[in-house]
Amino acid sequence: MSREKKFSDEFLNAFVDDQLETEEKGRAYLEIGQDEELNRRVCELRKLRELVRLSYENPPLPENGLSETVTTTRRVRFNIAAGLTLILGVMLGWLLHSSSGFYTDALAPPSQETGVSQAAPDTITVKASKTPARRPAETKLATAAPLSKPAVAPTGEQMKVLFHVSRSGKVYLKDALDEIEELLKFYNATGQRARVEVVINSDGLELVRADTSAFSKRILQLQEKYNNLTFAACRNTIDRLKRERGITAKLLPGVVVIDSGMAQIMRRQHQGWAYIEV
Amino acid sequence: MDVLNFFLRSREAGKKLEQHRLRLYRIAYAWTHNPALADDLTQEALTKALQKGGQLRNPNAGKAWLYTILANCHRDHFRRNRETEEIDTTSLVHDSTPEKESGQQEIVHTVRNAIAKLSEGQRQVVTLVDIEGFSYVEVANILSVPIGTVMSRLCRARVALKGHLLNDMARGAAMQEAKIRRIK
Repeated sequence: MSREKKFSDEFLNAFVDDQLETEEKGRAYLEIGQDEELNRRVCELRKLRELVRLSYENPPLPENGLSETVTTTRRVRFNIAAGLTLILGVMLGWLLHSSSGFYTDALAPPSQETGVSQAAPDTITVKASKTPARRPAETKLATAAPLSKPAVAPTGEQMKVLFHVSRSGKVYLKDALDEIEELLKFYNATGQRARVEVVINSDGLELVRADTSAFSKRILQLQEKYNNLTFAACRNTIDRLKRERGITAKLLPGVVVIDSGMAQIMRRQHQGWAYIEV
Repeated sequence: MDVLNFFLRSREAGKKLEQHRLRLYRIAYAWTHNPALADDLTQEALTKALQKGGQLRNPNAGKAWLYTILANCHRDHFRRNRETEEIDTTSLVHDSTPEKESGQQEIVHTVRNAIAKLSEGQRQVVTLVDIEGFSYVEVANILSVPIGTVMSRLCRARVALKGHLLNDMARGAAMQEAKIRRIK
């Protein structure tokens, strides 16, 4: 084998790139050291290798610099974040829906099924496990719910009670407020979740009119004490008062106005609220 | 906890990959001589590497694995543009001119210009061996070609580079030497 063939360019490249086996490399060292021409070729190859390496040591970067993060990570994080946001949104929506209340329902159009004839009340008696000072169990309840449905909600279920105040008179209104307060106390004492809504129409408007109410302070106290209590005045009654007697009714703070007291009672009964006529 | 572990693993893998970004970019730039395209290819390669996280955790995969992905991204890119470019006959033109460069930058430019004139296959082999110091076997695996092909491409590439660079430099040195003699 001639020296020329033995030390082909491929062989010398492999020598320069340190790709030869130890034995082969040792033999090549000897041969190259003794041959000036081979030595020159090896030097050239090494020089070329160094030139290439140096030329790309600091490559020009894109105008905006290198990208900073691996896209997949960002995408995965984005997807998970979007998923969590969706779950949070659904939960929030569910919570708001379940605890929403009055405003949504009051503004909703009355159901066609909530006619008076269908709201024929079934009278039931509330039986409480714990007896309060004055038992609301003695209150006559009228509800659209079936008779078998217990008035005291199972644990976790929310009680929904509507009081209807439609008459005037100090004694009558005081009794009404007493009934309402005692029921709220009862629910508080028994740890039941409850919502109580007082629908006021007709002559009962006297209870929440700022200029006529004898119970403005008590109503304010009740509202402050029980955040699950709502006083709702009938818009039709207010309009009628203005129309027939020229009186502009100014309501107590915190009293909301609903389109129609009767329509509200129908809606609530349809939604499963207990109806109590004081 | 699984989700947390996933995040941590993903984050750690991402950090490890980021350490290779500049080196991958350097090779991608040497192949394309286009900073924006090189950055895109690097990003694509890192993204794919992270997606194949299971292989990344294999200690035998090593850094050669990343360059395999980069080579595939590079090949795919030119396949997508096959209508206008032929992968193995593509020769790049360096957009800078020697007048813009000075001193060492002029040499750098000359070398890059010479690399740009190589065929795609030769350019890939010579840059992987010279810049990243891969063995011939590793380069063969990265580019999915026989080791004999790696050796022959490297040999031809260096012959071509020698023709472009060393002869030019020798001429330049001779001219410089002649000028000095004239001054004397």
